[in-house]
Amino acid sequence: MAGPKATAPVKGTSSSTSSSSSPSAVQTLWKAYLDHTAPRLKFIDSFLTFLVLSGVLQFVYCVLVTSFPFNAFLSGFASTVGQFVLTASLRSQVNSENRTLFKDVSPERAFADFVIGSVVLHFFVFNFLG
Amino acid sequence: MLRSFGALCLSLLGLAALTQAGSSSGNSVLVVLQPSLKRDAFSLFFDGLEKKGYSLTFRAPKDDTPVIIEHDVPLFDHIILFAPDTKSFAKDISPQALVNVLNHKTNLLIALSPKQTPLSLLAAEFSLILPPPGMPLLSHFPPRDTAPTVIPITVPADNAVLTPGTPPVWFSGVPQALGANPLLVPLLRAPPESFAADTDKDAGAEAVVDAAEKGGEGLWAGSALGVVTGFQTRDSARVVWAGGVELFGDEFAKKEIEKGVKSGNTQFALDTAAWAFQENLVLRIDKTGHHLANETTPREHYTINDLIVYDIAISKYNAAEDAWAPYSGLTDLQLDFTMLDPHVRTALVPVAGAPGIYSATFRAPDRHGVFKFVVDYKRRGWTFLHSSTTVPVIPPRHDGYPRFLSAAWPYYAGAISTSVGFLLFSALWLAGDDRETKKTKKTE
Repeated sequence: MAGPKATAPVKGTSSSTSSSSSPSAVQTLWKAYLDHTAPRLKFIDSFLTFLVLSGVLQFVYCVLVTSFPFNAFLSGFASTVGQFVLTASLRSQVNSENRTLFKDVSPERAFADFVIGSVVLHFFVFNFLG
Repeated sequence: MLRSFGALCLSLLGLAALTQAGSSSGNSVLVVLQPSLKRDAFSLFFDGLEKKGYSLTFRAPKDDTPVIIEHDVPLFDHIILFAPDTKSFAKDISPQALVNVLNHKTNLLIALSPKQTPLSLLAAEFSLILPPPGMPLLSHFPPRDTAPTVIPITVPADNAVLTPGTPPVWFSGVPQALGANPLLVPLLRAPPESFAADTDKDAGAEAVVDAAEKGGEGLWAGSALGVVTGFQTRDSARVVWAGGVELFGDEFAKKEIEKGVKSGNTQFALDTAAWAFQENLVLRIDKTGHHLANETTPREHYTINDLIVYDIAISKYNAAEDAWAPYSGLTDLQLDFTMLDPHVRTALVPVAGAPGIYSATFRAPDRHGVFKFVVDYKRRGWTFLHSSTTVPVIPPRHDGYPRFLSAAWPYYAGAISTSVGFLLFSALWLAGDDRETKKTKKTE
């Protein structure tokens, strides 16, 4: 987790300097993301990316190699999906642009919810892992 | 219980009287002899039975005593019905009563005649189709000085019931066409050139020719007919139907087949009675057992895919020694592992070095439920063996499955990395939070 977090800002700064010369839509989007997203959200996004990659890898392994201990696949895959959902909801709750939507939920409260949800999730995941 | 006690008492009495004993199911025999037949006319047969250890009780067909069944317990182990011409019997020898007697595992030896009697009507219930009344078996071959109804019949050499090498037997009486009943045990068949017809004028021969031209319908001729036929009920009581009572008589036993060659009637009659009275081809299951392949005690239940060993001990009755002896001679014994259908059907093979023990090792099917070990051995002439043991087969317990499979390591790694990622994320979040609050405080 340290890797993406450390590299993201570096990349951001390097690309922001050279972005004015290439006006394609993706690059514009990428530049806007880098410029206008809070570092905390970028940190969450890097975790989400890791979860997506992990889940995709497990699914590919299941399809191409074996789904034999199916409970293991289910729990491994469900842990990435569940963690993704919890992290995504944390992201939406701590996003300052959504402050009006979550008036009652402070960022600390959101993080506490996230931690409790994750602990419960991992409890079930390791129970089911076999 | 009562019956076995009675049988025990009777057999003890029999043992006390004579040490040389015969039957596996008891030695008391009731002989129902019609008044026109004298005991002395069958002395060779009856003396042969008594010599084997049977105690014979005689009774006329219309007598009421001695009773056959008292308080629903049969008082005799075997009944010989030498009343082929009798048209009316006492109440407890009616055809229905005889079937009831058979249900009590009492064995019967019944002689028929060309006359129509209640007994010949009963024969139809045993899949024996008799020719119309008054049509005995005839044969003009081989040329001989006897009447055409007195026929020498060669004894088959390959019948397990009969002693090999028995000389031909004299026969006189009625043949039976055999139905398709699998419980029938043909003992002696009619000669190929014989046929059933009217004796007096030999005019029935025309009918035989007519029937042969119609494709054999209604034809009582040839070696497809039986003259002495056994029948074993599903619970292994035995009946022998003989086409004529003279077969057992002294006259035919002493009559020479050829010059200097005595007939085989005495031997054949005793062989037939030996089978009917449960001396011969009698098997029993002593013990069955089952256990896991590397254990010795039976389990209350087995798990799917367990390796199960089933063994069964089988004894055969040895009439000469009046004892049961372990018997390893069955080559086609099978075990079914059944839940509605046999999921496993495998051969039970004799275990080398363990007489009478047959064993099978098999893997339980990948399916749970209530299974049965079924051994169902039904062979013509032999006692039917049936054993059924119920045993549940269960799926593995929750901790009975294999764990930490190498194929599952990507999933384990995925779940562990998610948890580690979550911990690192939380730690960094909290660390960053401090910094940020400081920052925000500073900016404020």
